[in-house]
Amino acid sequence: MLFTSLEFFVFLPLALLLSALVPAGQRWAWLLVASYVFYGVLRPFNLVYLGAVTLVVWGCGWALERAAREPARRLLLAAGLVAVLGSLVAFKFYDFVAGELERLVAGTLGPETVIALPRLAATTPVGYSFYVFSAVSYLIDIFARRLSGKQHAGDVALYVAWFPKILAGPIDRATNFLPQVSAGLRADPERLVLGFQLIGWGLIKKVVIADNLAPMVDRIFGIAAFASPIDLLISVYFFAFQIYCDFSGYTDIAIGVSLLFGLQLMENFRRPYLSRSTAEFWGERWHISLGRWFRDYLYIPLGGGRAGPVRHYLNLMIVFVASGLWHAGLGYGVGWTFLVWGALNGGYQWAGVATRPFWSRVGERLPRISQSVPLAALRVLLTFHLIAITWVFFRARSLGDAWLILKKIALNLIEIPSLLSRFPFTAEHYAAFALIAFLVGVEIVDERRSIFQRLAAAPVVVRWGLWYLAILALLILGRWQAREFIYMQF
Amino acid sequence: MKRLGKSALLFIAIGLAIYAGVYYAAERLMVHTGRSNPLFKIATAQDSTVDWVILGASHAMPLDFADFNAQMERETGLRILNLAAPGTGPLYNRFVFEHFLRTHRARNVLYVVDSFAFYSRTWNEERFADAKLLRRTPFEPAIAASLWDYARHEGVDARAVLDYVTGFSKINNRERFERDTWEGEAQFDRVYRPSASAVKKRIAYLYPDKTAATALGRYVEEFSTLIATARQAGASVVVIRMPAPSQYRSELPHEAVFDAAISRLLAAREVPFHDFSPAMDEPRFYFDTDHLNRPGLTQFFARYLKPILVPARGG
Repeated sequence: MLFTSLEFFVFLPLALLLSALVPAGQRWAWLLVASYVFYGVLRPFNLVYLGAVTLVVWGCGWALERAAREPARRLLLAAGLVAVLGSLVAFKFYDFVAGELERLVAGTLGPETVIALPRLAATTPVGYSFYVFSAVSYLIDIFARRLSGKQHAGDVALYVAWFPKILAGPIDRATNFLPQVSAGLRADPERLVLGFQLIGWGLIKKVVIADNLAPMVDRIFGIAAFASPIDLLISVYFFAFQIYCDFSGYTDIAIGVSLLFGLQLMENFRRPYLSRSTAEFWGERWHISLGRWFRDYLYIPLGGGRAGPVRHYLNLMIVFVASGLWHAGLGYGVGWTFLVWGALNGGYQWAGVATRPFWSRVGERLPRISQSVPLAALRVLLTFHLIAITWVFFRARSLGDAWLILKKIALNLIEIPSLLSRFPFTAEHYAAFALIAFLVGVEIVDERRSIFQRLAAAPVVVRWGLWYLAILALLILGRWQAREFIYMQF
Repeated sequence: MKRLGKSALLFIAIGLAIYAGVYYAAERLMVHTGRSNPLFKIATAQDSTVDWVILGASHAMPLDFADFNAQMERETGLRILNLAAPGTGPLYNRFVFEHFLRTHRARNVLYVVDSFAFYSRTWNEERFADAKLLRRTPFEPAIAASLWDYARHEGVDARAVLDYVTGFSKINNRERFERDTWEGEAQFDRVYRPSASAVKKRIAYLYPDKTAATALGRYVEEFSTLIATARQAGASVVVIRMPAPSQYRSELPHEAVFDAAISRLLAAREVPFHDFSPAMDEPRFYFDTDHLNRPGLTQFFARYLKPILVPARGG
């Protein structure tokens, strides 16, 4: 079920109403049923995968709690990880790797040496990457004794399947989620108001901004070879905002819906395009739940930054390449572009680590300049453009297309002002620019003090006026013809 | 808590008042920009009785492109109302015609038949929920009631009724300031350059369900009901098939089965059937893979259609 579908707007009030009627002690059971209904309507068979993942991690967690000897615990952890992560890898990459192998063999040994490997021909179940990562975090946290393995099976099932986050996160931790469920879920008026505000803002980001940018982006990325440099440049900018609004819109709705049931999920986005460095972008502002997952379950176990400079660089690259692989298989297909996307971001981190001492010294010697607003703005702009370059690899259909787009833009950089003056801008372009300007404006205001806090302190006329404006924007400008959330397709 | 409840009620009441205002504005704008939607044409038709009502899908639409309908009326001296809509099968056409009969009368019905419209729900039940049609349909309680009836008895999605009653598609119309014309009308004077891949694409679009033998029986039945409705209202029915290039015709799937079924029905009902599909083969008569352009339509009208329409004068 999509958050933007009519079915969801019927499902949510019903789920809330029934949840309120069920005694607090049994609420988990109703919420689990609701979550399975939400997930199952997309494709009932996917419930089998969801059930299997839940059973594996709950079973392994239960056994881990009871196993006293370290080798047995390690074996149990390995078995659980291989089962759930292995299935994810198989779903995502098996067919792609088989195809690449066949091509490699034919290319090396000649076209007459044809091998035909069997194919899975199974698409990754929707949201699989997200709930598998949640399940993995549950298992590792029990292994690391951050969490008890004596969890109620129903609570664990609800943690894996919780409907607001199952399709595209946030990848919440069991250490945050399960204590709230055990304590009994209750929504107070403050959480309800915040929940509705987040749902409203998330919908605006998705159906008003992202989905209005999408057709222009799709059109130009689909004809990259024939598009003009200005068209390509505009599409790269538009895609940067499309993917942000699409994904963060989803998580805003997920967090908002959870709040209606009394559950606080972890923050996932914090105005990422206001980052002053790519390290800040990835570490503190963009897809925070995934970044922390990789930090806690991959980067730190590998030694992080404390295992010597070479290992530090290597660990950074491993994390970003792994992140790139995780992103592969998205709506834009499985391809080498995601590997390059991850590696490029890893390269940015290398550059950041290598130049950090230099910038620290500059900061100490020129404290006024280093903290000035113009420099901060410049850093924000530079970071945004560095990230935008990586989005080209994320969105392009192939490495060749990505390279072509970047080359076309780069070779015409000097002529951009004159090309811009002759570019046939349409009403669609102006509307898109206006929506982006609105978003950036809101984020800048929000950066200083939360918009929601400002709203809470504002007179009722202003609050209600803004609510009505938001609802009207959704009604009048929204594209509601069910376009899937990009990250759902992982 | 009581105060919170009162605030919520007040918020909803003000919201509903604003919504009503926006709905009214959207409806007025729709009236201002309306043109080709069949239900809009019925609402704005000047004559309560017409000599011919034309029904069908997009192949019938060029008969009302630009000033062609007025030209036909001038040359025949007849009142003609074209209620064809793109991609609509017999179910949607029956719905439109029944609504027409509530306030108007037709002496004759010309149905332009297309096989694709008899092979899929896409062109029948699902067509009712298409925002492109709903956003151009004026609000009338009678249409809402009829739509609800179709949802209950004919398998139309109830969401179409909800959309129509709430006016959502009108409020959410991205083309709200544009005149309601089908995209084909802008190409009416163009000449088509034959393309095998374009034909293949078009056929794949028109026949989304690969095997739909059961669908044919269902929609032939709907068509039969439409003919009976017209007869009951005192209108005679003529069925025609528009010309189409052989490159297009040769790709049509299940055409022999369709021909047999439709011929059987029309013979049993004694409805005249004129198959003009092989009549004009040259690409210069078309603006795309299968729609007549202005020169093609002019010739088609003079040679084939006018003799059918004119004897009906005063009928």
